[in-house]
Amino acid sequence: MAEISTLINQHFLQPRNVGDLDNVGFSGRAGSITCGATMRVHVQVDENHRISDAKFQAAGCSFLVAAASLLTEEVKGALAAEVGALLQSPATTLTRILGELPPGKSHCVKLVGEGFVAAIRAYSDSVRDEWHGEEALICTCFCVSEKTIETVIATLELRTVGEVTRACNAGGGCRSCHSLIEDMLASSGD
Amino acid sequence: MIYLDNNATTRVAPEVFAAMEPFLTEHYGNPASPHTLGRQVKAAVETAREQVAALLGAADPSEIVFTSCGSESDNWAIGGWLEQNPTRRHIVTTRVEHEAVRNLCEHLAEINCEVSWLEVDGNCELNLDDLPRVLRRDTGIVSVMLANNETGVLFPMKELGAIVREHSDAVFHVDGVQAVGKVPLDLKETEVDLFALSGHKLHAPQGIGALYVRKGVTLPPFIIGGAQEHGRRAGTSAVPNIVGLGVACELARKEADHEPILRLRNRLEDEILARIPNAILNGASDRSKRLPNTANISFQYVEGQNIMMLLDEAGICVSTGSACHSGSHQASPTLRAMNVPYTTAQGSIRFSLGRYNTDEDITRTLAVLPGIVNQLMEMSPYQEELKALRQAG
Repeated sequence: MAEISTLINQHFLQPRNVGDLDNVGFSGRAGSITCGATMRVHVQVDENHRISDAKFQAAGCSFLVAAASLLTEEVKGALAAEVGALLQSPATTLTRILGELPPGKSHCVKLVGEGFVAAIRAYSDSVRDEWHGEEALICTCFCVSEKTIETVIATLELRTVGEVTRACNAGGGCRSCHSLIEDMLASSGD
Repeated sequence: MIYLDNNATTRVAPEVFAAMEPFLTEHYGNPASPHTLGRQVKAAVETAREQVAALLGAADPSEIVFTSCGSESDNWAIGGWLEQNPTRRHIVTTRVEHEAVRNLCEHLAEINCEVSWLEVDGNCELNLDDLPRVLRRDTGIVSVMLANNETGVLFPMKELGAIVREHSDAVFHVDGVQAVGKVPLDLKETEVDLFALSGHKLHAPQGIGALYVRKGVTLPPFIIGGAQEHGRRAGTSAVPNIVGLGVACELARKEADHEPILRLRNRLEDEILARIPNAILNGASDRSKRLPNTANISFQYVEGQNIMMLLDEAGICVSTGSACHSGSHQASPTLRAMNVPYTTAQGSIRFSLGRYNTDEDITRTLAVLPGIVNQLMEMSPYQEELKALRQAG
């Protein structure tokens, strides 16, 4: 525990990667009604879909500031899709990166995770919008086309987003395409 | 270490410690014992009672009952009076009381009482016209603090007491914890029936408080047992603490000139508000309506807890109205009652000065604070709003 609090303390007293990316890259916001904390995360993603730079801004408790600072360091070089998936998996994953959480602080970590996921989804949305391939792209994390998803839904008679993800990986990353997959599931029954 | 958190607690005065020491060593008698050791100690307790009575301006020392803390005094006053008056089930208090009163009244409202909560305005001031409107035939007790612990705003005890007398049969309880030793008091010239104080706010040790009970007002004992304190509060007297409280009150009465603290507080407040663009004062800007030692200042769009911890790193102790506990955190009830916007309440810092602060303390605080706030402003997600503030400033 002592080591963890030293690490958190270092990152609070000297937070890394504070600021924005001057409109280069992608931004996400997260806020909490219960604790009043707000934060913004900015990421830049290279042509290999890896996060090349990450910055944050926060008005929240010292633990939130430290956790955000630590994460900006951790995510650099990682695949955007992988980070998006990891941060939405059960909180144990984040605890592994950040260490044991102080009592009552799990909501702070959740908020930091939401900020990063929002930024990664902004990236995914932009990739989808700018995609010029022959088939429309739905899941940008795993590069799954609309046609592939339509096919698995029809042939396997799928009903839920979870089934689609298990069948073809679509929706298994940042989850920004979940609403699109839901729309496809809804119209498949017509 | 620069200590600017005197509303939380104060350093024990050296004179207080020196007076207490013999009662922790050679004078170890029980004041209830009739033998020599007991009688010596009993005399010291009665001297302390006189010293407390003198500071409060009580008509008689027998109106002072020693307790363990301010919260006990508040709980005894309100809970005790209601217990012995079962037909009176209406309480009047304010939205900005200390937890000892606020949480007790919330608890009583859940069990068997009705509570009228007086609102404050954006300056943390009461509207005196509200009080007669809520007083009723069955109002049992009106409980109002003298000074707000967070903003230092003073409520007009004398006027409030007169209204209570004129419009009801209720008793008037005042939580004086934050005011004792900081403003002149003369309770016998007021309509105050019950008045709570706490030793550690005025350089006595923690663990000692007192309740002033005006002659003619009776309360059932809060602790049932022996006949200590004339049967009003059982339990062997905490003699060293009582002696300490007596001397602390004596010191406060002799050092009634608050001009030095006032000067330091005003300098701190003026310079912060002038030099830091996102700083705004919480509480009445009219300083005569506030304690001489308190400045509650919000640094908009940044987190108060961060400021507190960075000041702590620089060796300066303050407190914040925003503390993130267990995820259910909200801004302090006082700031919420004042309708302070969330992004302002979140960055509130309370500077509370004391007898031992110096000009040098203020100089050093002013040397580091702007840098700390600036660092957090750069981190803030509210860049647009801060830019507007800078331009306006």
